Amino acid sequence: MRLARRVAIAAVLLTALGGLCVHYGATYDDNWPHPTGDQIQQEGLESFTGDRVLLFGEVRAVNGDAETITIHVVDDNDEVAAELEVRGVDDQVAPGGVVQVYGVLESGAVMDADRTVVVNRDPSATTYKLVTSVVGLLLAVGYFLQQWRFDVRGLAFEPRISDSELESEPETEPAEVRQRG
Amino acid sequence: MADLLSHVLLVYACCTIASWYRPIPDRWIAVAMIGSILPDLNRITLLVANGTLEATLGIPFNVDAISTLGGSIVLAAIGAMVVRDRHRRTFAALFAGALSHLLVDGVKAYADGAAGAWLYPVTWVRHPTPSLYVSSDPAVLAVAVSVTLLVLAVDRYAIRTQ
Repeated sequence: MRLARRVAIAAVLLTALGGLCVHYGATYDDNWPHPTGDQIQQEGLESFTGDRVLLFGEVRAVNGDAETITIHVVDDNDEVAAELEVRGVDDQVAPGGVVQVYGVLESGAVMDADRTVVVNRDPSATTYKLVTSVVGLLLAVGYFLQQWRFDVRGLAFEPRISDSELESEPETEPAEVRQRG
Repeated sequence: MADLLSHVLLVYACCTIASWYRPIPDRWIAVAMIGSILPDLNRITLLVANGTLEATLGIPFNVDAISTLGGSIVLAAIGAMVVRDRHRRTFAALFAGALSHLLVDGVKAYADGAAGAWLYPVTWVRHPTPSLYVSSDPAVLAVAVSVTLLVLAVDRYAIRTQ
């Protein structure tokens, strides 16, 4: 495909991706069945008292005696929308961890959680996830660049081994064919 | 999301198994591995918050749309435009990798028992999830590494020697 046509199609697709992000952002709060951080920021946590809700929050404090934790629910700007005291968190968590809590919101920003999920036990769990993900990214990109090269003039990736070279390999030698690359 | 390394390894393992039935050149496996990264490009929010983007643009904006079926299709199509030719095959490989990522994410744990709304824009419906894992659990990576090593061993010592 000619470069100009590829660029034009890519521009249209990028516009479509932007449109998707706009539509998703505009309709998410109406379609997500639980209060979002933005909604809590605007309406206050009290507006949802008595509702059974799922909330994500960062653990700020763990009160071992009372078997409660305090979490912060944040909005899209990562600003604290609500501070919530949660009872019934079985798993051990530490401040800096991230949890999901599901239960009925009681007055006074308290929840007796029916179910909880510890997303990140503590900040080290967040770091672990980040580091392993960077390793995964490097692995995929490294393997890709081993197989493909970027043609600067054509502004396109192309295989390091062309199809004609692959097809010229004798089919009677499975070990060679399985070099694949 | 599971950690990205697990996603990449699982796609590599799946492609290797698929190649037992129909040879898949390594370069397309590499493209599928890149595809498995696409749904996590929404992690750009680690650098720029959605709220900042909304304030800058002046309109609602949420990059989490990238981590959905629709976002993956569009991203795979964009990826197919940065190769010289074989655009359809590139799209298929990228989307296969991205779909694998979304399916694996579809069984992770949610406290209310329903998965994320990853089927957007087809539907906002959240299907039930068996809540098999949380992303920060090292057991996820242990399973992904074990599966990949097992598949590689079978590929090298059973399949290639035939």
